[in-house]
Amino acid sequence: MAERWQDEPWARDMWWSGKTTRRRVLGLSASAAGALGATMLVPAPWRAAFGQAKPYKIGTLQPLSGTAAAGGKTALVGTQMAVERINGSGGINGRPIELIVGDYESKPDVGRRRAEKLAVEDQVDLHQGGFLSNVCIACMPVWEEHKIVNMIGVCLDTTITTSKCSRYSFRPFDYAPAQAVAFAPFLVSQLGKKWHIAFYDYAWGQSTRDAYVEQIKKAGGEIVGTTGIPLGTADFTPFLSKISGSFDGLFGIFFGPGGVAFGNQTYDLGLSKKYKIAGDGAIAESTNLPALGEKIEGFHGINRYVPVLDPPLNTPHHKKFFETAKAALKKIDPSGPLPDRYVQSNYEAMNFVKLGIQKSGFQGRKDSMKLIEALEGMEVKESEDFPQGDKTLRKEDHQAFIREFIFQIKGGKHQIVNVIPKEKTIFPPACKFA
Amino acid sequence: MVIPWELLVIQLLNGVIIGMILALVASGLTLIFGIMDVVNFAHGELYMLGAYMGTTVMLTTGNFWLALGGSALTIAALGAVVQVTALRPLLGRDPLTTILATFGISLVLQNYALWQYGPVARKIDEPFTGQFALFHLQFPWYRVVIALLSAAIILALWLFMKYGKYGIWIRATTQDRVMAAAMGIPVPLVYTMVFAIGSAMAAASGVLYAPLVGINHAMGLDVILRAFIVVVVGGMGNLAGSVLAAIFISLLEALASLWVSPAQAVIVSFIVLILTLLIRPTGLFVPTPK
Repeated sequence: MAERWQDEPWARDMWWSGKTTRRRVLGLSASAAGALGATMLVPAPWRAAFGQAKPYKIGTLQPLSGTAAAGGKTALVGTQMAVERINGSGGINGRPIELIVGDYESKPDVGRRRAEKLAVEDQVDLHQGGFLSNVCIACMPVWEEHKIVNMIGVCLDTTITTSKCSRYSFRPFDYAPAQAVAFAPFLVSQLGKKWHIAFYDYAWGQSTRDAYVEQIKKAGGEIVGTTGIPLGTADFTPFLSKISGSFDGLFGIFFGPGGVAFGNQTYDLGLSKKYKIAGDGAIAESTNLPALGEKIEGFHGINRYVPVLDPPLNTPHHKKFFETAKAALKKIDPSGPLPDRYVQSNYEAMNFVKLGIQKSGFQGRKDSMKLIEALEGMEVKESEDFPQGDKTLRKEDHQAFIREFIFQIKGGKHQIVNVIPKEKTIFPPACKFA
Repeated sequence: MVIPWELLVIQLLNGVIIGMILALVASGLTLIFGIMDVVNFAHGELYMLGAYMGTTVMLTTGNFWLALGGSALTIAALGAVVQVTALRPLLGRDPLTTILATFGISLVLQNYALWQYGPVARKIDEPFTGQFALFHLQFPWYRVVIALLSAAIILALWLFMKYGKYGIWIRATTQDRVMAAAMGIPVPLVYTMVFAIGSAMAAASGVLYAPLVGINHAMGLDVILRAFIVVVVGGMGNLAGSVLAAIFISLLEALASLWVSPAQAVIVSFIVLILTLLIRPTGLFVPTPK
């Protein structure tokens, strides 16, 4: 072997010896193009099993870069898990799903452009996904304009199924008013009557705050104050420091890094010793727990999904979902996180799509109205498709009602304290489709 | 509205502490701009990578101080590599090219962190967890220590620049690049050294701040905007100005939040930025040119 790579025979022949001729460059370029073309022609894994069956083209928009990328990555895991399972078991009506993934970089304007691209260039049959509420809201008119059914995966802003509702969009998981209906009686009866609410000061945080203010009062409690903290604030200390006075509990409405800051800093400032700390389950999501450590001990939250195998989540369906999701998440994070609600709701949203297509005989975009009618009012039972539990997709506003888990963090893990059946989370519809 | 004096004291303390942490981040940024004329959009990502590197060293050694030093050295080396490979070839070109290059580097580093470390938020445990009573709060000693450490690091940088041989090289290069080269100062090496020092300061602030705010791939975005405001208000390239501006802006925000909502309090820093650009574009804390 030569000492320098330039002296190797292959290097001398090809390049280094100055034998680079136009013919050689053209030849190499043609070979490279051929190799690239051959790679592109290699069929997708599902093609072998489905022969010439035309796939359902389903678009999924997620924030895979930018501020919300961490959540977007786990959300995509849920969607991909469902698609792999559907394609692995014969597809839908004998047709596979071809998933077209779009990254909207955590920005509403990019999201809207990607939605247009999915609708016009990629000609998707329907869309399943969406993570940030502001992006979901920005894209909803696009789905409606192109008559594309939009099965939302994560977006929680209340108005999506109330004042801004659309006949083409469905939310197959819970929303703040339902969570507040489920959680407020527990907060008031078990933790205390007087509450101060700290929230992320944007669409989701504000609508969630309003829901809890209403329900805590309805349950006989009192709101002594609220503190809105701007999205993107790293250090909450100057704002949390102001919170004082005589009340029982501090309720937080945050997610992602905001949840980490809230949990850490309420502990650091001694607020968690003085008051009961509770809040939206996103604060203590499994992907946040390592960064919160023991500072989040004793936190009470509500969530549609908690990563435990205790009753009532000790079913074979949930065990299978849990293990598969854990293995899939290990591929994107070496620390091996447990599944979170983003994985669960995207997985189940895609399964709603499957059931809707099966029920309606949906062939493509021209059948969108048939699919909508099939999904409206759909009732599903706890199963492999829906490991979280039974669900009702309400006809009037396309909002799902599902069971909720009230949990406490003990020993660094979620512990289910109470399970609220879906019937006890009902909040009246407030939507008028255009 | 009458504000209790206890709250004023608490917010003054918060303002100074957050200001010192911000000053540490901004001082690296202003150093790089002052000497190299490079607006480093990747500074926030060096801060974030510093924090992640801190978790790696912490896992290996279990020692916070080793994590702080190890992370600063590693990110300094990374900064040197980035400067040599991506910024040195652009020397003397339109400043827009370096802005675009550093912006590109920031995207690469952000996505690298997400790919390498995954979406789960990380944490570095603080070296001690004591608190002291401050009116209705229990105030963590660690926050006070971070402020003091930030001040010590900035002071060390100032002493190095004032009295150190290489500090004198750096100042000479800032004053007159051509003359410095003519006197035998290796200007390209000075640039690399400055970028490495700025990177190390970003990494150190990332490790120091991580126990309070957690670590994620986008954490740099939260601080970089404020750091840029500080650098502009303090005077681009002015180290002392950046420190004063950081404390000034943090104090303003902390105190404003007593009267208005936090969302409105945050706007205060933008108002200061606009007023500075309109009235005194060279910076509030730069002596008036004669």
